[in-house]
Parts: sequence; C-alpha cells; structure tokens
Amino acid sequence: MRFTLAPEQRDFASSIDDLLSAADTPTVVRAWGSGEHEPGLALWRRLADLGVTGLAVAEEHGGLGASAVDLAVAVEMLGRHAVPGPVTESIAALPVLLADSGETRWLPGLASGEMIGTLAWQPHVPYAVDADVADIRLCVVDDALHEFAPAEPTSSVDAARLLSAVEIGAVVCPARTERAWAYGVLACAAQLLGAGRQLLEMSVDYAKQRSQYGNQIGGYQAIKHLLADVVTQLELARPLLYGAAVSLDADGTSTARDVSAARVACADAAYRAARTALQVHGAIGYTAEHDMALWLTKVRALRSVWGTQAWHREQVLGALLDERRVA
Amino acid sequence: MTNIVVLVKQVPDTYSERKLAETDHTLDRESADAVLDEINERAVEEALKIKEAGEGEVTVLCVGPDRATDAIRKALSMGADKAIHVSDEALHGSDILATAKVIAAAIGKVEGVDLVIAGNESSDGGAGAVPALLAELLGMPQLTYAHHVSVEGSAIKVDRETADEGITHLEANLPAVVSVTEKINEPRYPSFKGIMAAKKKPVETLTVADLGLDAGEVGLDNAWSTVSEAAPKPPRTAGEKVEDDGDGGTKIAEYLVGQKLI
Repeated sequence: MRFTLAPEQRDFASSIDDLLSAADTPTVVRAWGSGEHEPGLALWRRLADLGVTGLAVAEEHGGLGASAVDLAVAVEMLGRHAVPGPVTESIAALPVLLADSGETRWLPGLASGEMIGTLAWQPHVPYAVDADVADIRLCVVDDALHEFAPAEPTSSVDAARLLSAVEIGAVVCPARTERAWAYGVLACAAQLLGAGRQLLEMSVDYAKQRSQYGNQIGGYQAIKHLLADVVTQLELARPLLYGAAVSLDADGTSTARDVSAARVACADAAYRAARTALQVHGAIGYTAEHDMALWLTKVRALRSVWGTQAWHREQVLGALLDERRVA
Repeated sequence: MTNIVVLVKQVPDTYSERKLAETDHTLDRESADAVLDEINERAVEEALKIKEAGEGEVTVLCVGPDRATDAIRKALSMGADKAIHVSDEALHGSDILATAKVIAAAIGKVEGVDLVIAGNESSDGGAGAVPALLAELLGMPQLTYAHHVSVEGSAIKVDRETADEGITHLEANLPAVVSVTEKINEPRYPSFKGIMAAKKKPVETLTVADLGLDAGEVGLDNAWSTVSEAAPKPPRTAGEKVEDDGDGGTKIAEYLVGQKLI
C-alpha cells in the first residue's frame, strides 16, 4: 500500500490552491456572511469546473468517481481558503447518501455544480447550513431521508454560516446512512485541518513581521514553542485524516472508528491553531477587520458539527473495546 | 485541423531566490522551486483555445533537464495532447542560438506543423529572442509580442503590442511562429479530469543525437557568450532621512535638483 499522496493528487491540490489564492476568498467569505451570495456561488462554479463537486459522484451519474483520498485532499484545500457554503454537505455527504439510498435524480446536478445541497442529520447536525442557497434540502431522521423546509434562521459563531432549524417534510426514501455519515465526518475533518494549517501560516507570517521590545516576536522562544506545538499537532492529525480516507476506500470494518479518530485529531489541532493564532496576533486578531477572524470562527463552528468531540471519542473508545473483546 | 506546437520552459519560481551556480555561472536549478513559466501557461491556453474553436492537436515541446517533466505534465493537464521532451546532459549551459537550433530540430520531428506558439520571453533567461531565431531557422514568418491571436483558415492575424511601438496589426500565412505576452489571456487551472488524463498522454524523450545534431553545436563550451564573473545584487541601501526644522521643503527641493529631477 502506498502511504504518500500520488503526484496527481498533489497536482490537483495545487490547482485548487492556485485558483483560490487568486480569487480573494476573504472578500467572498465576507460577502457571503452579509447575505450576498453571488461571488461565492461564482467561486463554486469555478471549483465545479475543476471537478471538485463531482469527486464523490460516480461516473455513471456525471461525476468523477474519485477516491475518498482525492476528496480529502480537495476539501482540505477548501478549508484552507475558508470557502463558504455547505462544503461538507453538498460535496461529500449528500452525494454518497443519495447514491447509497438509490435516489439518484439529483446526482448529475450536484456533480456539475448546477445544484448545491444541504443536509441536516438528527441528532448530530440539528441545523442545516446555508439552506437559503441550497437547491436540495434533505434531512436524515432515523433511517429515512426527508425533505425539509427551513424554519427560523439562527446565527452561527461563523458569520459565513447561516443556520436554519428544520421543519421536517415528506419522506423521500429510506436512507442508507453508514458511508454517507463517514464521508461527512471525513470532509468536516479535512476542512478543519486545512483551516488549521492556514491559521498556522498566518501566525508564522505575523510573527516574522511584528516587532516588540526591539525584536521580531517570532524570535522569542515563547512564540516559537506555541507555533511548534501547533505544527506538530496538525502534522500528527494529517495521517489520521488520510488513513481514514484510505479506510473508506478499502471499505474496511474500522471505517467508523477511523473517521471519528481523524475528526477528533483534526478538530483538536485546528482549534489549537486557532487559539494560538489569536495569542500570536494579539489585539489585531480580535478585530473582525482582520482576515484571521474568518478562519477563527469557521474552526469554532466546524468543531461542533457532524458530531461533538466527546461523541467521536466515545466512538473510538467503543470500537477499541469491541476489538479487545473479540481478541 | 490546426497542428500546434507550444514551447514550454521550466524556470525557477519567481517567488523564490534565484542564484547562479558558483562553478560555471549557469542557473542553479537545485536552489529554487521549479515551475512551468507563467508565460508558457498562457501560450498553452492560447493553443487550446485555437484547438477548441476548430479542430487541432497541441504538442508541447520542452528542452530541459529530467525534472522538467513536471512542467510538461502541467501543460498536458491543462489539455495539450502530447509532448516532446529534449533532455541531454550535453545541453547544459546552451545559449539561445543553440537552444533555438535544438528546438527547430525537434519541431522538425512533428509532421505538418501549422503554428508554433511561444512565450515572448522566459522569466529566468529573459533574452526574448528565441521565437525570432526559431522563425529564421524554420523559414517561417514571425509574429511576436502578440496580445491577440486569431486563426482564419490558412491565415493568422496578430495584434502585436510593445512599449515602444504601440499596437501593430500583423498578418501572415500559416505555418508561422507566434510569441505571446502576458496580456493574451488568463490560463485555465488543470481540472481533476485533465490531471488524470495527462498520465496517459504520450511524452517522447529525445537526445541531441536523436535530433541529428552534433554535441559540438550545443552546451556551455560552445556558447557564443561566456559569463566570467557574477555577483549578487547589492542590498538596497537605506534612504536619506530629512529632519524638518522648518526648511524641509528646501531640503527636498535641493535633493531633487541634485538628482537633476527639477
């Protein structure tokens, strides 16, 4: 088994990176947060042209039938650039949920980027994100897929996420949820890892610019240690993310455990990156005008959706205890 | 059917520090990240546009060391159909005359070339003469510094833009050599499909001997110019600080007079 990314996967990541770097995503994110969705939707269309929205859709439904590793690599890059919109839902969880449940009519639209979907999932994803821009709104209740109507919108800590409570509507079909859940958790973890990496880089850049007491603050050991801890934790989370994606591709028995482990590690690492970024930036980091705030709040929001950290830790513990019992 | 050859070059990333090797003053390729020269991405984009507007085939031609395969792969990921890679130790340190000869010989390996598209100049060497040399060697008309290109049947029209002469409208019959400027287009980003498809596209690797050239015509020892010495650019010096004691304006005026600016 190969444990490194293929050159094609690295090339795809850098293609997405180049596109998003030139797209001034902070401006797009701010517009999205103020209800102006057009720049964000235009960005989604460009990502769709690259194939990002078709990764998790099979070729027979107009997608690319890419691997979970391909998807993790791409979504990590979307997290790195704080791309707004229901990334995890529309690009990862929904395509798998619809395909596995045999409800294929929306898949070509999702793959081509002509449609964007959002998803609520009781009890772990009680609010649907960006239901106002979504063409497809579905909700998993017990083992069935329902349509829903967005009820009262509620605010998220991340201004670029509009959350809606859901008014459950008609049943669409019985749902096969196992793989879709794992894809959602994996994508959420990938977004977090990418955002964490970006927060680290912003902090490192800032530490090299900002002087205090006559020196660059990055020269002080107190700052160096903080940042070293962040990079260590992020880099230790990355193999768990890719490992979970490999596990999904192999359809192994440990998939649920592996995605939960990845999610715990990525969210913890990203959260540390966020808190450290705030410390390193000092007062400027608290201002809404500084771009860092966009990543800071996104990490805080993503850390609490698609299952809490405690719930995912329970999954890992439960799986390990089961393995021991069998052994 | 337009048969297009696009010249691509791998160069050190302009964001990284570029150095010359201490031993022979050639480009130190190991010290910097290597990328496909941005102007070549535009050349590839233009070729793909011409191909997509009608019918055609785009061949990427690269002269460079083994690691230039990364640059070739990027051009293929964007949508070029096949590639020729001329790689030979003997080419190390070749000047533009030798480079143009090698490129001309390699273009000779492609049947029925209608159009050769190059960038106007590379971001590392920056001589800006290879497209013109190549046109001379191939006996084709040269339409350089293009910021707009259109192919109509067997004719090509180009808007040439230079700082000195402004815009000139050029027209020629195919086959021809075109060089493009950075205003020509916005290159596309390679898609997932394009990247996966590039894996299967043919890349023909050729040596100087394969091209029927003599190693005595190329390389550092046969270059028409030699670099005898090189020194890094001196660091920028601090500016002059003027304290304003009520006569700041006079001091600034004196400085500008000293620089013969006023």
